[in-house]
Amino acid sequence: MAVAADRLDATFIALADPTRRAIVARLATGDATVNELAGPFTMTLPGISKHLKVLERCGLITRTRRAQFRPCHLEPAALDAAADWIEENRRIWRERFDKLDDHLRDLQQPPPATRKDTAHE
Amino acid sequence: MNDHAANAAELSYVRVFAAPRELVFRCMIEPEHLTHFWGPAGMHTPLENIKVDPRPGGVFETVMVNDSDGSQYAMRAVFVEVIEPERLVWTDSDTGVTTTSTFRDLGDARTEVHIRQANVPVAFRSQQAQAGFSTSLDRFASYVGAMSGDRDR
Repeated sequence: MAVAADRLDATFIALADPTRRAIVARLATGDATVNELAGPFTMTLPGISKHLKVLERCGLITRTRRAQFRPCHLEPAALDAAADWIEENRRIWRERFDKLDDHLRDLQQPPPATRKDTAHE
Repeated sequence: MNDHAANAAELSYVRVFAAPRELVFRCMIEPEHLTHFWGPAGMHTPLENIKVDPRPGGVFETVMVNDSDGSQYAMRAVFVEVIEPERLVWTDSDTGVTTTSTFRDLGDARTEVHIRQANVPVAFRSQQAQAGFSTSLDRFASYVGAMSGDRDR
C-alpha cells in the first residue's frame, strides 16, 4: 500500500483544480497546443501555461519540443496512479469498517474475563 | 455544506453498524479503540503510535504496520471539525484529502457512518468526462457509479 508520495500528491493537487481537470479531459481526446487548449477557457495564454506547468510537473502531461507549438500530451500512467490510490483508499475503508464491525460486536458482548476493550481512562 | 462539497465529486462510503452512535463515534477518536480496527486487512495499528486530539486544529496520527513485512505507513492529519457524536472532519497533511465522517443515529442501537473524501480527482464524472477517455477514467466512472447509490446527484 505504499503511496508514491511526492508525485502522487502533486497529481492530486494538480487535479483539484477544475480548469486543470478540463485540460486533462480535453487532452484525453488528443494532443493539443496551448492555443487550442485556451480556446474554451476565458483565460489568458499565460494563465493556461501556468496550469500546464503544474500538470507537467506531476507527469500528467508532457510537451514535445517540436517547433514553437509544443503540443501537450496526456500521460495515462500518471492518471492510473491516481486511480490506483482511490481504489486502494476505498479498500482500506471497507476493511477498516469490517474490523470496526467486529470490534463493536466484541464491545457489546463482553466475554466474562476480557473486557479490556471498553476500558479507557 | 453538502452542496458546497458536492462539486468536488467526493468519494463516499457508507456503512451501518449495530451499535449506538456514541459508541461508534468514540471508536473513531479513541486510540484504545482505533488500534483494533484502523489498519485494513493485513495491517495493524500499534496503540503507542496513535495520536488523537479531537478538537479543531488537533492532530490525528496513526502508523499502520504491515503484518507480514513490518513496513509502515504513517497518516498525519489535522482535525477541522469535531462535533460529538455527529461529525468528524480531518485533513490529511500529506495528501490534502479531507475526510468527513457523519454519524447518524438510526434508532435500535444502529448507526450509519458516512465517509466522504474530498480533494480527490473523482470530479471526472462531471460533464468533462468524455467517451474515449483513458482506462483510468473508465475506472473512475465505474467507481463513482458504484459508490453513488447513497446520495442524490
